[in-house]
Amino acid sequence: MTTTENINDGASTAVDKDIVLDVQDLNVTFSSEDGPLQAVRGVSYQVRRGEALGIVGESGSGKSVTSMAIMGLLPKTAKVTGSARVLGQELIGLNDAQISKVRGEKIAMIFQDPLTSLNPVYTIGYQIAEAILTHRKVTKQQARERAIELLDKVGIPHPDRRVDQYPHELSGGMRQRVVIAIAMANDPDVIIADEPTTALDVTVQAQVLEALEAARQETGAALVLITHDLGVVAGHVDRVAVMYAGRLVETGTVEDVFYRPRMPYALGLLGSLPRMDEARGEKLTPILGTPPSLLDLPRGCGFAPRCPMAEALCHAEEPVLKEAVDAEETDLHHRHMAACHFGERLVDVRPEDLFHPTSLDAEVPVEAVRAEGTEASAERGREHEASSEVLLSAVDLVKNFPIRSKGILRRKIGEVQAVSGISLELREHETLALVGESGCGKSTTARLLLQLIRQTSGEVTYMGQPLHTLSDAQMRPLRRDLQLVFQDPFASLDPRMTVTDIIAEPMQIHGQGRTAKARVKELLELVGLNPEHGSRYPHEFSGGQRQRIGIARALSLNPKVLILDEPVSALDVSIQAGVINLLEDLQDELGLSYLFVSHDLSVVRHIADRVAVMYLGKVMETGTTEELFAAPAHPYTQALISAIPLPDPVKERTRERIVVTGDVPSPADPPSGCRFRTRCPKFANELDDARRNLCVEEPPELLDRGTGHRDACHYSQVVELI
Amino acid sequence: MLVYTARRLAVAIPVLLAASVLVFLMVDLSGDPLADLRLQQPPPSEEVMAAAEARYYLDRSTPERYWLWMTGIGGNGDIGLLQGEFGPSVRGGAFDIGEQLASSITVTLRLVTAAIIAALGLAILSGVVSAMRQYSKLDYTLTFIGFLALAMPTFWLGALIKEGGLWFNQTTGTGFFYTIGANSARVSNMTNWEYFLDSAGHLVLPTVTLMLTSFASWSRYQRTSMLEVLNSDYVRLARAKGVPNRVVVRRHALRTALIPLVTVATIGVVGIIEGVVITETIFQWRGLGYFFIEAVKTNDAFAVMSWLMLSGTLVVLASLVADILYGVLDPRIRYE
Repeated sequence: MTTTENINDGASTAVDKDIVLDVQDLNVTFSSEDGPLQAVRGVSYQVRRGEALGIVGESGSGKSVTSMAIMGLLPKTAKVTGSARVLGQELIGLNDAQISKVRGEKIAMIFQDPLTSLNPVYTIGYQIAEAILTHRKVTKQQARERAIELLDKVGIPHPDRRVDQYPHELSGGMRQRVVIAIAMANDPDVIIADEPTTALDVTVQAQVLEALEAARQETGAALVLITHDLGVVAGHVDRVAVMYAGRLVETGTVEDVFYRPRMPYALGLLGSLPRMDEARGEKLTPILGTPPSLLDLPRGCGFAPRCPMAEALCHAEEPVLKEAVDAEETDLHHRHMAACHFGERLVDVRPEDLFHPTSLDAEVPVEAVRAEGTEASAERGREHEASSEVLLSAVDLVKNFPIRSKGILRRKIGEVQAVSGISLELREHETLALVGESGCGKSTTARLLLQLIRQTSGEVTYMGQPLHTLSDAQMRPLRRDLQLVFQDPFASLDPRMTVTDIIAEPMQIHGQGRTAKARVKELLELVGLNPEHGSRYPHEFSGGQRQRIGIARALSLNPKVLILDEPVSALDVSIQAGVINLLEDLQDELGLSYLFVSHDLSVVRHIADRVAVMYLGKVMETGTTEELFAAPAHPYTQALISAIPLPDPVKERTRERIVVTGDVPSPADPPSGCRFRTRCPKFANELDDARRNLCVEEPPELLDRGTGHRDACHYSQVVELI
Repeated sequence: MLVYTARRLAVAIPVLLAASVLVFLMVDLSGDPLADLRLQQPPPSEEVMAAAEARYYLDRSTPERYWLWMTGIGGNGDIGLLQGEFGPSVRGGAFDIGEQLASSITVTLRLVTAAIIAALGLAILSGVVSAMRQYSKLDYTLTFIGFLALAMPTFWLGALIKEGGLWFNQTTGTGFFYTIGANSARVSNMTNWEYFLDSAGHLVLPTVTLMLTSFASWSRYQRTSMLEVLNSDYVRLARAKGVPNRVVVRRHALRTALIPLVTVATIGVVGIIEGVVITETIFQWRGLGYFFIEAVKTNDAFAVMSWLMLSGTLVVLASLVADILYGVLDPRIRYE
């Protein structure tokens, strides 16, 4: 399979003995009811022994399908052409028996979701041993010993005991390590990791990436790291390939792609990220529109419809991957390549020079975006009066969920302490962020504030009026002021209702049905959507557009407070930026207050005025965003900040890290004293026994310990991390 | 596991007690066992009636009768479930309900067991094949057969199968299919082997009749759960390890796909016990189905109640077996 156009051919024909994975002109087409769906088109890349290649792209870019095609794991309905060779052996077109000999032996794979990747009915030891026994003639006992050894290598404590446990007895991070152990089992030459940390919390992500690094060192395997997270790529790979609409659009060393992108998409992607390492005031620059449908690809460049510098040529002819204008690398393997007709124009261009800091959606005419972009200054007046009035507050909020026995009696046998004494104040025209990892109680807190569930004890007050004593009927008129935006834009909109009906529903419930029609149009315009699209159904919109519909619904009753529960975490970064901008604009225009629940510290740092960091149902540290990020004093905040990968290869590789070990303890049985002590790096490494006693015995109070903001650590100490 | 089983058995006791109250009340309210006697012309004398009422304990109050039925304390020694006595039959002293039940159950269990095994085996096979060849001609054929079997009522299908067997015998001039009874008439002269062959031969058509509905619905469930498992991440990971496809199907897909079938099949056992009444009638088996119909026809209250309690116990046992199977198949279900 050769292509005349492909420049990479130069590299592959040259004898390069170091190449372990050689993909040439790979195409994958799925037959669907609406015609052929071209998921992957002409992808070619090579990976050398021991090298790490990052494949970056948003959902639907074909990055996962490419690797599944290489592994021969696609369903039979997929038509795969081209070539993929591991150590010279062709994989495409092999039958099951033939490819089974290669899979797991020469090329191994790690999948995204560790909770579903392991078979629930076999022990982890069995599942690791199975990988060994499939390819090696060893006894079961030898395979078991090797499994224990592998578990130890990926950092699982007490591997000799863990080996006989079932997957459900292990946490998500542990299970992903087991999957890594399976991948390492036969010393493969290539490991493909498909979004290996996307489903994990940041502190666990850091641990799993470390285990993956260990696996590489141990096996000497080349790594293909597929991810949407530019930060993960920046710190862990040598070369990057950017995929868009089924094609590679830019490849090169990680420095070349991150510092000198020569394809507008790559540049836009970097510009749309909220960054921990840059000034906060600047607005994000989203990439307008959505990726093209793979059923009906445009004739020219796939990115042209979203590209601000697209010209007639771009719409007529698809650019091939060619050497970037200022490529310096002499080694063809590392040479910087980009698929853009006008890549040379990107020399010294910053994302904000090309993309507009807009909050509109692409369905609105481009002229409107341009006009809006020039009007709105890139700077945002984000500093609010400190004296502004408290709208919503919580005092000593506690929520315990009972654990019941399985029998008929369902006796209460324990309690999950989801929220354990939280006090918060949300002021007028302010964004307060609740940050923490999964299970820390942030969503429960949000629901308590809305009184969607009732607290075990504590008080919730809205504008001086206690909410926790109100009945549901008394609460109803107040609900107008307090509205909720959900995380999942797909599940939170009824697929059988039109957009107009969805947005008008709250108004009908509150007796404002007569004016609803006109108001819906106004709202659609307000959230940057085309007001004529009200009669459409949710499935006709993209994820970002649906989230805008969800926001419009929340705004329909003119609320004062929006509770935003992970509002952008389900969106691709290029889309996410637009929704964040929209939220900022709406706050300025309508004077809204936001309670922003999120696990993503970069987004929080960008959007919030104040932050409360939660861990196991308690606030660990709280303060203004500036103070908290500039001078984090609690070890947990420090660990969180340091675990966020920066999308900057040099900074990411050289920064100081505070690594947290282990998993979050069960909220049914939280540690005594300070709840973080079991994972605290300070407790483990810096404190002597005498000082540790205080942590074990005394729960630290949330106090200002001379840092200008409050933290709950007996031994708090400011560390600068950004 | 032992402790768990013991505890489950303990839980079964109140369930069976509640069932006994219901059974007793329903049968008690459904008619008078002495109706035939009362309507006799000329009417029997008062003494005869009183004696009959005393014989069947109809002179006692309802709670008293329930107590007697359960314990036998204060009775004539022919009553009391806990003492292993099932009560007097209206069909006279020669008809011992306990003995009759025991002989019927051996016949019926043969049929029920064969039907359950055949239905499960075929359902798993057809479900797995259908799932692995989704949207193939074979899948469509099996789907069609499944829905056809589901749609046809057992009493009609059974008659049809019987007729089919007779027709086959006639056209071929053989006695290949047995269509009447659980065994041939001349059992006494048979060797063990001959007896076994004779029994097996008689089982064929009734088993097919009894299992078809269950097979049809179970195979649909098995297909769905198999499809789900085949598309799961862990099956993909197993293949990525290099485990050949057929081993993946056997080792990783089949076992997890069986878990939902356990629930469905347990509920289905009730259906099979119901179906046995119809099937036995069609093929003239003297099993539990025949026993029940005869008992109802003759207004034999104690026989009906005994039968209902027995089938209740069988259902409780089936669900116990299902719970134990869960534990074997799925380690996430813990029994302390």
